[in-house]
Amino acid sequence: MSTPASMISRAEQPRTEFLAASPLPDVLPPVQVRTGVAGFVYRHPTMVIGMVLLAIIVFVAIFAPWLGTVDPTALAPAKRTREPSAEFWFGSDAFGRDVYSRVLYGARVSLLVGFAVAILASVIGLFLGTVSGFVRSLDGLIMRVMDGLMSIPPILLAIALMALTRASVQNVILAITIAEIPRVARLVRGVVLSLREQPYVDAAIAAGTPTAFIILRHILPNTVAPLTVQATYICGSAMIVESILSFIGAGTPPIIPSWGNIMADGRTLWQVKPYIILFPAIFLSLTVLAVNLLGDSLRDALDPRMAKRV
Amino acid sequence: MLGYLLRRVLSTIPVMALVALFVFSLLYVAPGDPAAVIAGEQASPEDVEKIRMALGLDRPFVVRFLEWSFAVLSGDLGVSMFTGLPVTELIGQRIEPTLSLMLVTITLSALVAVPLGVIAAWKAGSWWDRMFMALAVLGFSVPVFVVGYLLAYWFALEFDWFPVQGYTPIAKGFWPWLQNLILPSIALGFVYIALIARITRATMLEALSQDYVRTARAKGVAEGAILYLHALKNAAVPIATVIGIGVALLIGGAVVTESVFAIPGLGRLTIDAIVRRDYPMIQGIVLMFSFVYVLVNLAVDLVYVALDPRIRY
Repeated sequence: MSTPASMISRAEQPRTEFLAASPLPDVLPPVQVRTGVAGFVYRHPTMVIGMVLLAIIVFVAIFAPWLGTVDPTALAPAKRTREPSAEFWFGSDAFGRDVYSRVLYGARVSLLVGFAVAILASVIGLFLGTVSGFVRSLDGLIMRVMDGLMSIPPILLAIALMALTRASVQNVILAITIAEIPRVARLVRGVVLSLREQPYVDAAIAAGTPTAFIILRHILPNTVAPLTVQATYICGSAMIVESILSFIGAGTPPIIPSWGNIMADGRTLWQVKPYIILFPAIFLSLTVLAVNLLGDSLRDALDPRMAKRV
Repeated sequence: MLGYLLRRVLSTIPVMALVALFVFSLLYVAPGDPAAVIAGEQASPEDVEKIRMALGLDRPFVVRFLEWSFAVLSGDLGVSMFTGLPVTELIGQRIEPTLSLMLVTITLSALVAVPLGVIAAWKAGSWWDRMFMALAVLGFSVPVFVVGYLLAYWFALEFDWFPVQGYTPIAKGFWPWLQNLILPSIALGFVYIALIARITRATMLEALSQDYVRTARAKGVAEGAILYLHALKNAAVPIATVIGIGVALLIGGAVVTESVFAIPGLGRLTIDAIVRRDYPMIQGIVLMFSFVYVLVNLAVDLVYVALDPRIRY
């Protein structure tokens, strides 16, 4: 054999001594397992950023009256369109209303609309999707109606629905919910149909488990992850649609300070007093950003296969 | 192929019928009595009743729906309650700016978003990738009119590079027309670019991990050719799909963008119709936009065959 060892002459070979091996040098730094809060922050930075941002906005919405605000609807014609100053932190609008107070109170409307639409659309979409996936006779009908609704661009659908009713926060929530339901129903139906093919569902059916129990025990728990992610995105888009509806005058009643309404008020003055639009815009964008970051990180956490792809 | 084409075209009919039913119900349940409005305030209840009979408003829902459907099929969308002009005529007057805005936005967005997504996938995990994807998340989070005002404030008011507002018909020259549309298109395209870039990145990542890409690299094909000829071609179908679906975003966004940039298009018509509660007008606009949306997605479905020769119907 001509291994390198045999090619070295015997004399040159080092003496073999039977000693305990010296400890291996620390080539790799010790693996640091972070636990607790620090570990969570390290592993999910976007989720933490999203949660912190959202927590701040929720805090602002709840404690708006105690954060140095004045009555957001109080008119002061003598002090209209003031630049941001010590008295008016974010300036004042064309009616002399304090933009800072209005923006803080506006957080309430946006959060309410966002969360309400997310919850309502998820619950109704979950119901329709499950029925569609399980009751073959209703599947065609439900899905055709959903197709029809989906063929109308969502904002246009919400606008059309708002044109029918009185402007109120409830109606805004309902209009956006109706526009969002089809997407949830489709998603849930897809999940239900693929779950129905699973052996454990077959086994449950073979064992004579009642359908209601199968849905409760085997189907619903598996829809939670995709539905949560979807609900987060719906929450974000609902807030944007609310602001668009209010901005074009088809949303929240003008008397209620919502971010869309504040921007609608600043519309005519935007070239000279851009701050009236700027401050609510920053708040709205940050809030939606927080929700979207949460959604992205939830998706990555709940479906690791997706983490690398999108 | 011809059979598929026919089936696909026919499949849009029930969807459009549902949209039409929905849009018609909109007018049907709309508050306010058109007969009373036409009769005026001094009219007696008998006069209102007569007008209602004359307009056929006393007949059952199904009859009125069918009659309305036939009218729509023959190109009659009714008469605007406010101006008294036919809805089709009003839409025709305003369609050019909106169509221009949407076409420029789609072209611009596709030209920007696809390369961004390709680079992000190519350099996955790099700072470029992270920056583009962070921008994409931002694109989903900032409402279209906010982007519009920011762009208008900086690039039109501060730097004076573009006209602040307004619209120039294409008949007055290509450059003046385009100049007025660049800022609105960027504003409107922001979300759209984010959407397309994200899908492009996702499908490109998958395409780049395929064996034929490794083979191409092994035999020394230039990196640019691998990206754009080998991988992008195979990622084209999902990208085309999302470009089609995203048109819904554009339609909704166009309404707002036109109001920010004072473009006299269908968006302004929509807002005016909402403010005046001009239901036939709203009906006509929703129907027309939905029709366009369904047609765009039909076209995308048919383009698949050209994009992917493996698809045979």
